[in-house]
Amino acid sequence: MAALRQGDFAALQSLLKAPSKDAVRQLCRQCFSSPPAGLGPLAQRACLDLTAGPEEAEQLVSALHSLTRHVVYHGLTRAEDILSLFPENFHQNLKNLLTKIILENISAWRNEAQASQISLPRLVDMDWRVDIKTSSDSISRMAVPTCLLQLKIQEDVALCGNSPVVSALTVELSKETLDTMLEGLGRIRDQLSAVANK
Amino acid sequence: MGLLNFTQEPVPEAVSGDMHNLNQLSAQQFSALTEVLFRFLMEPKEVERFLTQLSDFATMNKISLGPLKNIVKSILLVPNGALKRNLSSEQVRADFIALGLSEEKASYFAEQWKVNSPTLTRLAVGQTLMINQLIDMEWKFGVTAGSSELEKVGSIFLQLKLVIKKGSQMENVYIELTLPQFYSFLHEMERVKTSLESFS
Repeated sequence: MAALRQGDFAALQSLLKAPSKDAVRQLCRQCFSSPPAGLGPLAQRACLDLTAGPEEAEQLVSALHSLTRHVVYHGLTRAEDILSLFPENFHQNLKNLLTKIILENISAWRNEAQASQISLPRLVDMDWRVDIKTSSDSISRMAVPTCLLQLKIQEDVALCGNSPVVSALTVELSKETLDTMLEGLGRIRDQLSAVANK
Repeated sequence: MGLLNFTQEPVPEAVSGDMHNLNQLSAQQFSALTEVLFRFLMEPKEVERFLTQLSDFATMNKISLGPLKNIVKSILLVPNGALKRNLSSEQVRADFIALGLSEEKASYFAEQWKVNSPTLTRLAVGQTLMINQLIDMEWKFGVTAGSSELEKVGSIFLQLKLVIKKGSQMENVYIELTLPQFYSFLHEMERVKTSLESFS
């Protein structure tokens, strides 16, 4: 996460050349969502939209990225907190517009940050079926119920970027295993309620 | 030899000779040998122990180990087949008599079979093929305090480690669940339990 630098605010003034408020809005969203590596292409597009030189566009895009990420990192939710980030002589209307846009998007951005944080592979879906085993090579007649559980697991989002890798794992559980598992899950539920009630 | 219950294939020639030798044992000796055999059937992995016990039996009763092993091989044909085909003790008794064992010894063995078959059946069911069997589950849950993108997070995560038997190797699978996912997982597993119970 990039830190806010003094030069960033100067760069932000380039937004005054934007064709419309919606253009500013869209650029803010794109700059937040882009990883630092993706800022290059964004800068190129900003060049065209804002009729700015390549260097100016790069600085602008990087500044917007830092500003939006900074606000989300520190969990700033009040207008005053965001307004106070800007230096004294910053363009008044632009400051108000940026603050408004940030406030509009802050909770969506927070969710986005949480959804893309590093984690172990995540469970995305699960399906199950119950079979009855009627015969096998060790016993020719039986009626043993068993459960097949399919877990869809998504690898770490941060590693996969836009094309998440989802693998399916099918696991077989006997009744005894399921009972033990439920015991464990029940204990987790009890502990969670204890924590929630504190 | 008439139709046998425990197998459809022709029995090896040596078997009738082995049964004849068995008939020569006293009731006490036969009972001791039967005990050794059933102990092995209950714990088929304890091969070393089984061989030691057989060799002790041979020494104590002044029988040579080689012929004794052959006799034991013949005897074991019956319980192994009986297990596969869910035979009753009467059927086991009838088969031994058909093979040439004395009525007294056949009845004794059939009695032992009756006593031990529930355990042996459960063992055989346990050996039935399972795909990716879930062996163990470990878990931990905690709170994410912060991240590089969010200074304060405060969300609960649950991590599960599933130990799965793939063929002959164990594989560990790690997954993370959010709280709503955990509750829905728990709910589904309870439904599975109800379903399994209704079929037991």
